Amino acid sequence: IEPPEKPLQAEEWNRLRESFGSPEIFEEVMFNNMIRCNSPIDVAKSLLTHVAKSNGDVAYNLLVKYLALCVQQGQTSEIRDVYDIMKIRFRILESGAYNLLIRGLSNSDQWRMALTLLEEVKKIMIPSRTNYESCIKAASCHQEMNVAFELYHEMLAKDLVPTLDVLQAFFDFNRGMKGAELQKELFGILLYLRENQIYPHKTFMRSIKLWFESIPGGNWRGHLTSIKDSGQCPVCNHQLEDSDLTEEEYNNLRERIIRDVIHGTDTFRKTSPQEFEAFQAFVENRFPFDIVIDGLNVSHIKPRKRQCENLFDAVNCLAKENARLLVLGRKHMLVNSSNWKREIMKEMQNKADFFFAENISEDDAFLLYATLRSGKHCKFVTRDFLRDHKACLSDSATRHLFRKWQRGHQISKKMFLSVFIQQPALRYDCVVQTTGDTWHIPYKDTFEEKYSYRVPRKWLCIQQK
Amino acid sequence: MQSANVLLKKIVRSSVLPFAAQHGMKKDLFPLSRALSLSPCLKQDNSRSPSEKLDLDAWKKVMKSGLQEEVSETVSERKELSDLAAAREILEMWRLAGRSVPENISEEQLKTFMDCPSKSAKKKYLKYLHLKELYKKNDKRKMDEKRERRLETASKTDETRSKSFVCLWASCMDKAYSWRVAQSMIFGQPLVFDMSYEKDMSVREVANTVRQIVLSEGSNRRSLDPFHIHFCNLKDDSLYHKEFIKHYKEAWGKLLITVTDQCYTDVFPKDKLIYLTADSPKVMKTFDHDKIYIVGSMVDKSIKTGISLARAKRLGLETAALPLEKYLLWNAGAKNLTLDQMMHILLTLKDTGDWKAALEFVPKRKHYGFVSKPVHELKKTLNLINTLKLGKRQEEVRKQFAKNYSRKLTQK
Repeated sequence: IEPPEKPLQAEEWNRLRESFGSPEIFEEVMFNNMIRCNSPIDVAKSLLTHVAKSNGDVAYNLLVKYLALCVQQGQTSEIRDVYDIMKIRFRILESGAYNLLIRGLSNSDQWRMALTLLEEVKKIMIPSRTNYESCIKAASCHQEMNVAFELYHEMLAKDLVPTLDVLQAFFDFNRGMKGAELQKELFGILLYLRENQIYPHKTFMRSIKLWFESIPGGNWRGHLTSIKDSGQCPVCNHQLEDSDLTEEEYNNLRERIIRDVIHGTDTFRKTSPQEFEAFQAFVENRFPFDIVIDGLNVSHIKPRKRQCENLFDAVNCLAKENARLLVLGRKHMLVNSSNWKREIMKEMQNKADFFFAENISEDDAFLLYATLRSGKHCKFVTRDFLRDHKACLSDSATRHLFRKWQRGHQISKKMFLSVFIQQPALRYDCVVQTTGDTWHIPYKDTFEEKYSYRVPRKWLCIQQK
Repeated sequence: MQSANVLLKKIVRSSVLPFAAQHGMKKDLFPLSRALSLSPCLKQDNSRSPSEKLDLDAWKKVMKSGLQEEVSETVSERKELSDLAAAREILEMWRLAGRSVPENISEEQLKTFMDCPSKSAKKKYLKYLHLKELYKKNDKRKMDEKRERRLETASKTDETRSKSFVCLWASCMDKAYSWRVAQSMIFGQPLVFDMSYEKDMSVREVANTVRQIVLSEGSNRRSLDPFHIHFCNLKDDSLYHKEFIKHYKEAWGKLLITVTDQCYTDVFPKDKLIYLTADSPKVMKTFDHDKIYIVGSMVDKSIKTGISLARAKRLGLETAALPLEKYLLWNAGAKNLTLDQMMHILLTLKDTGDWKAALEFVPKRKHYGFVSKPVHELKKTLNLINTLKLGKRQEEVRKQFAKNYSRKLTQK
């Protein structure tokens, strides 16, 4: 049903209500439609008046819907009135009403009221991140930076993830401001991006650039660029950080892989203790390897070809520079069949070390172990994104380590005109980074377009003259 | 008749009392939410002629006018609330806002609600309670209607004789079933339920598991040639055990099954055991009457692959999976079936050895049909399904399907 364009008298509402199919939900449906069509607020008021007069009361859900309409149209005084009425009628409010009130008031000149409401919400539950977002934006819009940062730290302490909008707002509203404390806070935000491997989008990147360039007396200059494969920035010739982990991180990651991925809740789920021990002994005898290959994964690269030939090509291609190879496979590869020719398998075993796991074991876990055991120089080959193994890791810090290590050590292969093209592992680490007088910030071209496995190729280079 | 009346009275009393208690409590907590009486000034408003100009803010006056009446009450009411009461209050507000929240919630449920780790967990739990309440209400309404109808017919016909006949019939059947199951406990083929998955499941999953086992036990009891059911690895104070007692009450001690806290490997020779798991690489070809099949008593809503396979691997047991792929054109859903479906399938296999009859118990939504049908017929129904489901994209889907299907055929 269409909401009317002008306020109606009681009888007219009554008539409309009678003509509606299910009169008991008439008001609710009408309000929903008013919100959708953004009807004039007077129409809603006239309906409320009609309801109040005929029932002597307005139900809570209708009040909330009216509130939503007021917020949508920025009617601050009405929002205040509704809040007063709700406060009188109900001892506490629920999150839906609070969300609307905070959103509505933070966009008005009564934004301080939104802060007090936030305090009220805290008493009964943890506020949502959008609650914080509204308040932080309101505070920074009115140059109350201390309040804004306080709220920001508070939400981080509550494990809420700030939206990129909030972070961008900090850079936008601090443009041209002076103060060492403030600079430290904003650098802190950039380091937050680094630690959580978040990439800003284009408009956010622009805000960062403008902020840097606006620092009074800072002499910062920003350039958009893309980094060479060698990891050198073409603008300032600075060499980016490599993706190597520190000794401690490396050991930590290795232990966690053994504990969470290979053993997990039950060693028997992915392998068996005997098999894992045998594999460990095998690796201890022959490591370090230079490249570890997931045999089954590689053998499926070209579906028209025999699987063992695919693998043979890959081993040949990688074996060139005296590299020590380890190929992981399953026992069924040893059984002579149309896909796995015994002669070819024999020939390959002269060029590389092979380990065959049980047919029902997971070879990926072995792949990770062997690569990590061999040391930092060792790379591995698979097209698998290893997401399920990453998911086995129990905390996000280790998952980030895993991702970083994976970016630096995974070689994936593409088929191009029946020749293997090696896609090399990245030599540099793709995160926000600084040396004090330079900052390098990777960014995404648009807001949503990015696959989680793809790292951005575009960078913002900022240097101090 | 008299006894029926007494029963009726009992039901009425027991159902009214808690309701009244709850109602009273709510009144205490929400002195403000009760409907207001119309104040005299409003009545004046109503008497004015409709042609007069509308007062758009009149509703505010109405809403605020209640204030004067009730202010004294609120001041006295306002004292520190306990956590539970505060949570109850929030729930009430959510209900007023139109979210799916149960009307009545017990102390215990409220505690579970507060222990939920996240907002979404809380929401889910409330929705579950809400739906449960709706079902219960509907059932009760239907029961009441039925009872009314029965009372009407009872007054017309002499019912007592037919009733006693029904009773006799039911108890006779019970005896016959028990006799059969007792026979099977001596001569029947064992079927093992492995009760060692408690720590892999949430509380609700354990409850679901027990429910499914109760259903399976029921269908086993009513079958022609029942299994001798073993519950192995069942510890005395485990969650499973508590749930079983909740379901069976006193009957738990009289069930004609074997319950033990021992492992099946201690009870039976290892080479006779076969662990049934969907993750098994081996596919079951025929039902073997000399083997002892093990079913893992586990509901895994989050599909934890390989848990039961790991159990079997650890103990070095043979494993097997149902040949679902071979006989059915799989559509959607996981290959793991509920325990009562497994029971039906195994019972049918034992009696007939007919895979088609047995796999009738696989839910229809999970597959398109049996592979044995002529292919063109299958395609026709599939086309129809896709047109209904997907509309325009049918051509594309059909091609995709045909490709997959032909690949499947060549693999076999």
